Amino acid sequence: MKVQLETDELGLHERVLQHDPVAPSEVFRVFMDPILNILVRDLACDRWDAHDAAVEAVLAYLEQPDRYDPKKGRLLTYLAGAAKHRLVDHLRSAAAQARREQKFAELVELQARPPNERLEETVEARLAWERFEKRMKSEEDRQAFRLILQGKQPAERFAEVFGLTSLPRDAMEREVKRNRDRLMKLLERFRREGPDGNP
Amino acid sequence: MATPDWLKTAAQRSERETWMLGHVFARYRQVEGRTDEELAAELGCSLEVLEWLSLCRRPQGERFAEHVLAIAKRFAVDPRRLGAVIRHVEVMNALAPQRDGGVVANKGSLLLAARDRPKDEEPSS
Repeated sequence: MKVQLETDELGLHERVLQHDPVAPSEVFRVFMDPILNILVRDLACDRWDAHDAAVEAVLAYLEQPDRYDPKKGRLLTYLAGAAKHRLVDHLRSAAAQARREQKFAELVELQARPPNERLEETVEARLAWERFEKRMKSEEDRQAFRLILQGKQPAERFAEVFGLTSLPRDAMEREVKRNRDRLMKLLERFRREGPDGNP
Repeated sequence: MATPDWLKTAAQRSERETWMLGHVFARYRQVEGRTDEELAAELGCSLEVLEWLSLCRRPQGERFAEHVLAIAKRFAVDPRRLGAVIRHVEVMNALAPQRDGGVVANKGSLLLAARDRPKDEEPSS
């Protein structure tokens, strides 16, 4: 059975090298589920979180199939390894971002509970929030900042707020990132200022 | 077989790869103002098959017809409709507006598009 699997893999790899037009969809069909199973098992992650890493690993292979050397091991091992690297990088990056956002949240005393509840209870924090809201020029910015404070949100949520849903995905993600970065810089400047608005 | 939970993610991601059919379909939908459902109906397939098609390599060059036939056979779609969509996008890309406001027609693409048009679509004059 294992020999048969390896033969099938080699045959599919050969088709990819020959630019068989159907081969890419076959690679997805054959390998995606096994890759996802390995990621979930080895990294104890959510299957949905692993989708992007697995897709990127398969696409990277399809774009440069000659980087895979069949003599060094099975194609599944190669693809799963690449996907694992991507997912670990992504998880590390997400954790670092979460830590940064947590740090910012602590600075405006939003650590324990959702921002709107906490702000209502803490006069000082509410005043800070009001000052910061005034600093944000538009309702879109205020809504987007509330999303940031709620923790990790998908780009689509920000796209809805900024009216970017009609853009192609890559352009939408770029615009969302630009707006998020802008808001975080605004918050950073606000943090540096004292309660009287002076640095 | 049930639709894989990752299929939509992969099909959407394929739109960013110019060598994939997903990119061609995205461009076609954009240019012609079609929805996924309308494109699937035009190709005579389900939305799921459209997503599988998106993961194929885009037929190009001298083996265009052979590759269109291979894809069409694998996914049981009409090769003429599939070929027409791909060629349509090639023509639109060849005629895409340039920054100076003019257009640049890629003669090779236009000739190939004209040559591939099905006979029953020829003017009857």
